[in-house]
Amino acid sequence: MVEYEMIVIDLFLMLVSAYVVGFLYYGLYRNITARFQRRIGPPVTQSFYDSIKFWVKEETLSHGWMFYLGPVIMMAGALMTLFFIPFFYQSDAFSGLSRYGNLFVVLYLMMLGPLGNAMGVGAGGSPFGAMGVTRGLTRLFAMELPFYIAVIALMSINHSADIATIAAHQESYNAFSYPLLFIGALFSFIAMMGQSPFDVPGAPVEVYSGPASEFSGKFLALLMSQSAIFSFAKLVLMVNLFLGGASGFAELLLKTFALFVFVIAFGALYGRFKTPQSVDFLVKVPTGIAVVGLLLAIYGG
Amino acid sequence: MRYSVAVFPSLLTLFVLLLLGSHAAWQVDLGAFGLSGVSVALKVTSLANFFAVLVVLSLLAVTFIAGRYSLSKVHYLLLYLLSLALLLIVYAQDYLLFFVGWEVMSITTYLLLSFTLTPKALVKYAVFAIASAMAMLGGIMILYSAGQSFLYADAHAAYAALSPVMSVLFLLLMLFAFFVKIGVIGFHYWLADTYAEASDFFTPFLSAVLSKMGIYALMVLLLYVVDISAPPHRWLAYTLALMGLLSSIIGSFKALDEDDAKRLLAYSSIAQLGYIVTVLSVADGMGGALYHSLIHTLAKLLLFINVAAIIAVTGKRKFSELGGLIYRMPHSFVLMLIGIIVLAGMPPLGGFASKYLIYNNLLEEGSLLVLAAMMFSSAAAFLYIYKLIYGIYLGHPSSKKLEEAREVPFVFLLPQYLIAAVTVGLGAFPGAVVPAINSVLAESGLALLPYSSATQLGTQSGSYDGLVVILAFVLLFAAVLWLLLSIKHNRVKEAKDRFDIAYCGEVPNEGTRLHYAYSMGKELKRVSFVGAILRHTSAVFYLFVSRQLFAFAGMLRRLYSGNLSVNFNVAVLFALVLLWWSMK
Repeated sequence: MVEYEMIVIDLFLMLVSAYVVGFLYYGLYRNITARFQRRIGPPVTQSFYDSIKFWVKEETLSHGWMFYLGPVIMMAGALMTLFFIPFFYQSDAFSGLSRYGNLFVVLYLMMLGPLGNAMGVGAGGSPFGAMGVTRGLTRLFAMELPFYIAVIALMSINHSADIATIAAHQESYNAFSYPLLFIGALFSFIAMMGQSPFDVPGAPVEVYSGPASEFSGKFLALLMSQSAIFSFAKLVLMVNLFLGGASGFAELLLKTFALFVFVIAFGALYGRFKTPQSVDFLVKVPTGIAVVGLLLAIYGG
Repeated sequence: MRYSVAVFPSLLTLFVLLLLGSHAAWQVDLGAFGLSGVSVALKVTSLANFFAVLVVLSLLAVTFIAGRYSLSKVHYLLLYLLSLALLLIVYAQDYLLFFVGWEVMSITTYLLLSFTLTPKALVKYAVFAIASAMAMLGGIMILYSAGQSFLYADAHAAYAALSPVMSVLFLLLMLFAFFVKIGVIGFHYWLADTYAEASDFFTPFLSAVLSKMGIYALMVLLLYVVDISAPPHRWLAYTLALMGLLSSIIGSFKALDEDDAKRLLAYSSIAQLGYIVTVLSVADGMGGALYHSLIHTLAKLLLFINVAAIIAVTGKRKFSELGGLIYRMPHSFVLMLIGIIVLAGMPPLGGFASKYLIYNNLLEEGSLLVLAAMMFSSAAAFLYIYKLIYGIYLGHPSSKKLEEAREVPFVFLLPQYLIAAVTVGLGAFPGAVVPAINSVLAESGLALLPYSSATQLGTQSGSYDGLVVILAFVLLFAAVLWLLLSIKHNRVKEAKDRFDIAYCGEVPNEGTRLHYAYSMGKELKRVSFVGAILRHTSAVFYLFVSRQLFAFAGMLRRLYSGNLSVNFNVAVLFALVLLWWSMK
C-alpha cells in the first residue's frame, strides 16, 4: 500500500534530518562551551567524525547479552520518541507516527531510554554505573514534575493531548502567553538536556553514569547517535509546545537552535548541584512556578 | 494429591466462565428464617463478572505454584473457601451476603496467614481485619436503619433518607473498612508485614485479589449508593483523591527504602492501588479504575510469583544477599523485565493502556494538579522498580552460591509466561478489554469509552494505537540490533570474568563489595521532603491509639473492679440512666 510506503519514507527522512541536525548541534555545543571557557574548541564536524570512528573501533567489551541490548533499547526509545513528535504542525510530511499516539505516549516513550540505560549499565556490573543510574533516576522524577505540570496545563487549555494541535493553536507563542509555565518547563528542559546545574556527571568526572565508562567502540557510537537524535527530538517537542511550532525547516532550525543555545549557555554558566540538591530545588522552585502558572492559566481567566 | 488439587479451581473457573454470558439472578426472602422482610440476592452483573475473572485467574496461578510447597489439605481447603467467599462478595447484590463473604474472607485469610506469620504480624492483621469488619457492619446497620433493606437496589433511596450526620458517619465507616483492605496509606500498618511473612504461594493472591476486594467494595459504594459527582459529596471526592495520591507517592518512596523484595512489592501494591482510589474520585473514572485493576492483578501475580521462585531456589529474599542472577536465570529475568515494564506503565506493554486511560480521565475532568501528582509518583516508581530488578538480577552475585544457581523450575515459569503473554497482548490490543469495561459502564448508566477497534484505546481527548506502537518498537529494536551485529569489523568480545570492569583505576577482587543494591536509594533520604516521608511512620499514631485504649480500659477497670459493692452501684446507676433515657 502506498500509504505505508509513504510513512516509511517519512520516518527515514525524519531519522536522517534528526541525525544530521543532532550531530551539528552537538558540534556547536562543544564549540560554544569552549568559547565560554576561553578555548577554541574542536571543529563543528568533529563529533560526527568521532561517531563514525567509534563505529569501527576495535576492542569492544561486552558483559553479557543485557549489556549488549541496553544501548539498543536506548536507541529504539530515542527513535520512537522522535517518530511520535511531528516536526511541523500543518503538514503530513515529517509527522511520522504522531497520528497514532498523543503527548502522553511521547512522555512515556521518553522513559524507554533511561530504562535501556539502567538495564545495560546494571548488567555491566560496575557499581559506579548503578550508582550513576540511581542518581539519574532520582533526578528524573524531580525534573519531570514541572514539565508535567506545564504540559498538563497546555493540554487542558487546548482540550487536546495532540502535539500538532497544541503547536497550531498559539496566537502568540505559549511561552509568552503563559510565561510562568514556560519558565517552569524550561528548568525541567535544562535538566532533560543534561545541562548544569541539574546534570548527572558523565564519564570524565568522579562518579560516572553508564555510557562512556563501560560502553566503548560501537556501543559508544550508538549512544552518541542516540544522544544526538534524542536531544533534537526533545528540542522539537519543546518548540512545538511553547514556541509556536514550525511550518518549515528554516523556522524549525531557527527556533530549536535558539532554544539550544539558551540551554547550553545556561549549562556553561552554572556549577553542578549534587543530586539531592537538584531534586530539592526542582520540586520547590520550578514546580512552584509551574503550579502558579497553571492556576493562573486555568483559573485566572 | 498433586493433580487433584487443580480440580476445584478448574471447576470454579468453568463455573465463572459459564456465568459470563448469563444474566442469572436469585433473590430470596429470609422469612423462613424468622427474618421476614429481609431479602438477600445474588446476581451476575458485568462488574461481578469482571472481578470474578480476576479471582479465578489468580486462584489458577496460585494453585499452579502451590504444588511446589509442602502444603497440607487444610491449606487447600482454606484457599478454596477463600475463593468461594470472594465469589460470594462479587456476586452478592445485597450488603448482608456481602458482609458474610467479607467475614469469611477475613477469617480464612487469617487462618492461612497463621501458618507462617509471626505473632506480632498476625495480631496486626487480626486487629485491622476486625476493625475493618466492625466498621463495615456499623455502616451497613446505619444504611439498613434508613431503608429496612440490605439490597443494593434499595441502597440509593436508603442513603438519601439518612440524616446528613448519619450519611457522613456511614461513609466514613465504609471508607475506613475499604481503606484498611486496600491498604491506603495510614491504614496500611498491617500490610507490609503480612505480605512479607505470608507463605510465598499465598502472597500473589493477597496482592492480586484480596486487596482488590477493597476496590470492588468502593466501586459498589460509588455505583449503587453514593453519587460522587453530586455537590454534597465534593468532600468524598477530595478525600479519595487525596488519600489515593498520598498512597501513591508515599508508597513509592517507602518501597524504595526496603531491602526485602516482598516488602518492596507490598509498598508497590499500596502505591498502585492509590492510583485506582484517586481515579475513582472523578465522575468518569470507573473505566480507568477497572482497567488498572486488571493490569495490577496481572503485574503483581507475575512479580510475586517471580520473587517466590527466586526465594524457592536461592532461599534469599534480600537485595543485599542476591544479585547477578541474570545469566543464571535468563527466563526469570526477562519475565521480571516484562513485569516491571507493565508495573511502570510504560509502552509498548499493557501497563501503559490503563495509565493512559486514567490520565485522560483526569485531564478531561480538569483534575490537573491531581494528574500532575500522579504522573510524579509514577515517575518516582521507576526507582523502586529498578531496585527490584537490579537487586535480584543485575549487578554482582553477593555470594558464591548464587553463581551456581539454576534456572527456576518450570512450574514457576509457566504461569509467568502466560501472564506475560497476556500483558504483551494487551500492549498490542489495548482496546480488547474495552467492550468488557463498557458493559460494566453501560449497566450503571455511565458514559462509555469510545471504541473503534481492538488495537486502539480511545478517550474523548484522543486515542493511541497499541499495535503501531509495539510494532514500531519491535521493528526499530530489530533494525538497531541488526546494525550493531552487522558491523563485523570490530567483533564484540565477552568480558573474561565479572571483575573485568572499570573500577576507578583499581582492580576489584572477591573481597570487594560490588553489588550496589543495599545502599540504593539511601541518597534520596538527603532530599528533605523524601527524608521526611521515610522518617515518619504510622506506627506512632497507632501506638498513641493503643495507649489511649489501654488508658480507657484502665478507667473501665475501676468500674468493674471485682468488688461486688462497686459493681452493684455501677449496675444500679446504669439501670437508672437507661430508665431515664427510655422514659424521655
